[in-house]
Amino acid sequence: MTTRTLVSAAVLASMTALPALAQDDNMDKLSNMQRTDATFTHIDQDGDRAEALRSILQHINVPDGFEISLYAVVPDARSMAVAPQGTVTFVGTRKDKVWSVVDRDRNRVADEVMDFAPSVTFDIPNGPCFSPDGFLYIAERNRVLTFPAAEFFFEGPDPAVGVVVAKGDLIPEEEESFNHTARVCRVGPDGKLYISLGQPHNVQPVDKLEMYDENGIGGIIRINTDGTGREVYTRGIRNSVGHDFNPANGDLWFTDNQVDGMGDDIPPGEINRQTAAGQHFGFPWVNGGVEIPQYKDVARPEGVEFVDTQLKLTAHAADLGMRFYTGNSFPDEYQGGIFWAQHGSWNRTTPVGARVMFTKLDENGDAVGAEVFAEGWLDDSTGEYRGRPMDIAFLKDGSMLVSDDFAGAIWRIAYNPQPAE
Amino acid sequence: MMRLPLATILGGLMLAGITALPAAADDPAAGRKVANMCRTCHGIDGYAAIPIAPHIGGEPKEYLEAQLMAFKTGQREHEMMSVVAAGLSAQQISDVSAWYASHGVEATLPDGADPSQAPQLCVSCHGVDGISQLLDAPNLAAETNIYIDTQLKAFKRGKRKHEIMSVIAADLSDREIRQIADWYAAVQLEITPPAE
Repeated sequence: MTTRTLVSAAVLASMTALPALAQDDNMDKLSNMQRTDATFTHIDQDGDRAEALRSILQHINVPDGFEISLYAVVPDARSMAVAPQGTVTFVGTRKDKVWSVVDRDRNRVADEVMDFAPSVTFDIPNGPCFSPDGFLYIAERNRVLTFPAAEFFFEGPDPAVGVVVAKGDLIPEEEESFNHTARVCRVGPDGKLYISLGQPHNVQPVDKLEMYDENGIGGIIRINTDGTGREVYTRGIRNSVGHDFNPANGDLWFTDNQVDGMGDDIPPGEINRQTAAGQHFGFPWVNGGVEIPQYKDVARPEGVEFVDTQLKLTAHAADLGMRFYTGNSFPDEYQGGIFWAQHGSWNRTTPVGARVMFTKLDENGDAVGAEVFAEGWLDDSTGEYRGRPMDIAFLKDGSMLVSDDFAGAIWRIAYNPQPAE
Repeated sequence: MMRLPLATILGGLMLAGITALPAAADDPAAGRKVANMCRTCHGIDGYAAIPIAPHIGGEPKEYLEAQLMAFKTGQREHEMMSVVAAGLSAQQISDVSAWYASHGVEATLPDGADPSQAPQLCVSCHGVDGISQLLDAPNLAAETNIYIDTQLKAFKRGKRKHEIMSVIAADLSDREIRQIADWYAAVQLEITPPAE
């Protein structure tokens, strides 16, 4: 053992002499508006890859009057944020890149896809979001950064950057995992940042309950855009990877991912409506209305009433990114409703999901019922995925973008009815 | 029935010779069926379809089997793999490990990469190109850098334990971890199915 330690110490000493350790220092340089030697990675938009993706389109069904096309080739495309001007859509990944997807000529096909801020070492930068005044926020596994006027500075490798939550301060480092650390962020009607923090287990052990609850792990936190004033806004979630505010009344809605290992048909998926700060949605005691056996004998939080899910959705379909429709090009029936992506199941005996879902809201602001809006990314005959929708966003013309981290694409769905003969 | 004792003796001898291996003989064909549970994330050929999953095609059977058993017994934990492994029998674990191990791998360093820059701490077990040099080490070639990063941090923080890896990872800084991860993530990996 001693020998091995000595050896590794010697090897370590030699490692520090290696080049290319400069990445973290770039943050300091950028904060001081200095240049780095970072270079861009460009993604080819016209090659074989684009052609292969277009061949998937024939399998996708959308409602009458709608059409689907390939908007961009974007590897590992996850959560999206359309910039205020609409020139650039920033797209997160579960790897180390954020992509700038650029449509300068507004022909609704990306002209250029390149990595954003290549000078920054990202770590699961899944969740980009914009404030109305053009600050881009990027929620990573364990850090939150902000890029002022990102839409205008994305063309340089060294955009100005600020730290909202320093590395290691979003969650305790020992709680970092890979799978349940895809953050989603939104700027709320109050101007604060709302960031989801999945809990890293299937069902968390009882001895973690208190610490998770205090940190908002298995919840959604809100913080001021300068990183101060952290509060746990939403409690009792397992691993939410999609939330958005109802523009009509400011309610926060979110999807959740359900417990595995309880069978193919339970617990049902959830889409939730939160009407006040601090509400608790039941996990790990209940999940989609189903009691979790490990918590049967664990005391529930005192004086807390669990909020029921708005809709019980297909079990294990993995409801992820969601967005209210506020555009003006879709028919009236879609106005003010919610679109969301079902990523598709990973271990269900018969795979389900890989589609875009929709629900209207009634006059009380409750969900009416889930309907399938677009499907066909799952090949029912083989059970294989052609693609896996992950998030929904809308362009300024009201058309929909669907990110797909399996195919590595962003699809566009537009309403374009054929004129009557 | 003179043959029976002979067969028993032979069987006994053979068993004695392979005590280091798990109980049952493995069956890659049966393992291919088990792999239907794995394919959404790891691919039917073991080339992962999502970033959080490692490429497992062409990895040493011993490594795969040991990890699945570790997930099954709770020695290693993962929110998805613990669920999957809990439902697998020792035979299924042996079979599915054999299926993935029966694939071929070819790793290629990216253009212009200098092999002497490979992470010296890692190469004796994981190779310069991320192809395992021993039975108890995984291939690292072309894994998502965040996957390698996450595993090294798990060893460093004691969430995952291994007699060699825990020691190696203990003193690595986040920056060194990412540098190692980036080296292996940049390798191109090709996985080829087993010959019919």
